[in-house]
Amino acid sequence: MSTWLNRQRALADFTLAAMGRRRIKNAALVMVYALVVFLLASAMFFAASLRHEMHQVLAEAPELTVQRLIMGRQDLIDAAAAERIGAIRGVSQARPRLWGYYYDRISGANYTVMVPDDPDLMPPPGEVMIGEGIPRARGFTWDGAPLFLSRHLGDLQRFNVARTFGTDSALMSADLILMTEADFRAFFGIPEGLFTDVVARVRNPNELGKIVEKAAIANPDLRFVTRDDIERTYQKLFDWREGLMAALAGAAVLAFVIFAAEKASGLSAEESREIGILKAIGWDTRDVIAMKLWEGGLVSFGAFLIGTIAAYAHVFVFKGALFAPVLRGWAVIYPDFTLTPQIDGLQILTLGLLTTLPYVAATVVPIWRRASADPDAVMR
Amino acid sequence: MITLSAVTKLYNEGRPNEVQALRGIDLTLAPGALSVLKGPSGSGKSTLLSIVACMARPTSGRVTLNGETVSGLPERFQTELRRTTFGFIFQRFNLIRGLSVLENVILPAAPTGEPRARVIERAMERLAALDLTPRALTPVEHLSGGEAQRAAIARALINDPPILIADEPTANLDTALTERFLDILRAERAAGRTLIVTSHDPRIWGAEGVDAVIELRDGRITHEITGGVA
Ligand SMILES: Nc1ncnc2c1ncn2[C@@H]1O[C@H](COP(=O)(O)OP(=O)(O)OP(=O)(O)O)[C@@H](O)[C@H]1O
Ligand SMILES: [Mg+2]
Repeated sequence: MSTWLNRQRALADFTLAAMGRRRIKNAALVMVYALVVFLLASAMFFAASLRHEMHQVLAEAPELTVQRLIMGRQDLIDAAAAERIGAIRGVSQARPRLWGYYYDRISGANYTVMVPDDPDLMPPPGEVMIGEGIPRARGFTWDGAPLFLSRHLGDLQRFNVARTFGTDSALMSADLILMTEADFRAFFGIPEGLFTDVVARVRNPNELGKIVEKAAIANPDLRFVTRDDIERTYQKLFDWREGLMAALAGAAVLAFVIFAAEKASGLSAEESREIGILKAIGWDTRDVIAMKLWEGGLVSFGAFLIGTIAAYAHVFVFKGALFAPVLRGWAVIYPDFTLTPQIDGLQILTLGLLTTLPYVAATVVPIWRRASADPDAVMR
Repeated sequence: MITLSAVTKLYNEGRPNEVQALRGIDLTLAPGALSVLKGPSGSGKSTLLSIVACMARPTSGRVTLNGETVSGLPERFQTELRRTTFGFIFQRFNLIRGLSVLENVILPAAPTGEPRARVIERAMERLAALDLTPRALTPVEHLSGGEAQRAAIARALINDPPILIADEPTANLDTALTERFLDILRAERAAGRTLIVTSHDPRIWGAEGVDAVIELRDGRITHEITGGVA
């Protein structure tokens, strides 16, 4: 065993020393390769997170959300409309909601402000319940510090914090502020009787499509958003993601083919001669190949590590900055689009194998023929 | 003891550019002796050495080492012989450029799995004996001809092989360096190593300590002197 280790160590040492001779070329190779891995891994992390996000959103989304549209844009909806919706055949429990976004200039974050439906979550008047992300964003230094919200310069509204949700509650609530209806209306200046939207249930989910179709004709000023619609929106992102993946995979394969061709044809005279020398001084074909495995392994595994770590930082620290143009439309629905790190171990493994194995093979295969040739060519 | 019987070597067999490098060589090389192969350029000296050192196979004939046939052994065993039994100093040294003297010297030990520290210690001792200690970390392309040769000697001896083979070792050396090389050969001979050297340099085959001189011409042995020359 220790003989095996010593041998591997000696082969790896030689490989590193030999690669060190073409430091710039090898570094450039690793960087180009890492870039390919970076793009693939970014798309992969991004997709995994989106899928996670989708499950979260879908789990919490009501079956049916009704918005009022004026000139194609969402507007406040009145209580009468809620009654109208409740009266549609097949619809039950139509309930108006009050919620909105608040941009916090102090922390630069967007909070979701809501009037809770659940009486247990209803704070006393003048107080709020907040997600754990808010004290963090605000840098609260002590428990029970009040929350000051400013709507414009010179304005300051004080809310005592009745309760802070722990980190264990759903991801969606980290940026949540819950307040009473009266406080909400006063804070945002929403007149009595107007709401953000209406959520409803249907008695028979199988009929949802039919109900929505009929209701939409009867109520041209209302927009009916079903859970399926939300899913479809996500699906569009996935379609885009799949297209991107295909393009990236194509580019990666192309890059790899170029590498491989370069490798296969580019067993330089110098390299051939060195292999001849190694064989002549007693290296086995096995040793030469093990040495080349080290070379291919070091390059491709190094590129894999660099690319994957950079992709992780890109997606989860820099919020997928390179994908931002595609997300712009999305941001209207979810202004504060943060991705929670989601790593699919199997995907990482696949990526790792897909990036290292072909490269290692391309490094080793052209050596094979040379390494099994007679070593006496180095005699002249 | 190494014996060759009816060894021939054809290059490019069956093609118009076929070369008969060796034609029926019968030869015995005594253990512990310093044998010199001489002959004009192209007479087959290097070819003969490469066959003895298991780097090439004879087209026909047989080579034995201590009574065992080695010419037909599978590649794996021939490799092992090259690693453990023969130390080879090439006509052009064949050091690996870009690597240091020390890195070159320890190369034949890499496949053995011997602890690195021990290999390096042995290499440094050998380099010290050859006055190469200050050059240990120098890339080999910066060495002078004499230094490169001694680096090649150190590499050939790192696995302590019983047989040391040198192909045209003094081709580019001045008289002082040639004398120095002969001293090294005599020391290795005194230490019990079998030495086989090719040369068309009279300073070598006329030197003190040479036990046998074999003359080749057109792939045949034309003259053989054994039992002490000088
Ligand atoms: N790989 C090869 N392919 C074709 N011909 C070869 C090959 N190797 C050697 N020869 C030929 O075989 C003959 C013997 O070559 P060899 O190298 O053994 O001679 P040598 O005695 O070592 O010469 P020198 O003193 O110039 O080194 C020469 O004619 C050479 O051209
Ligand atoms: Mg020669």
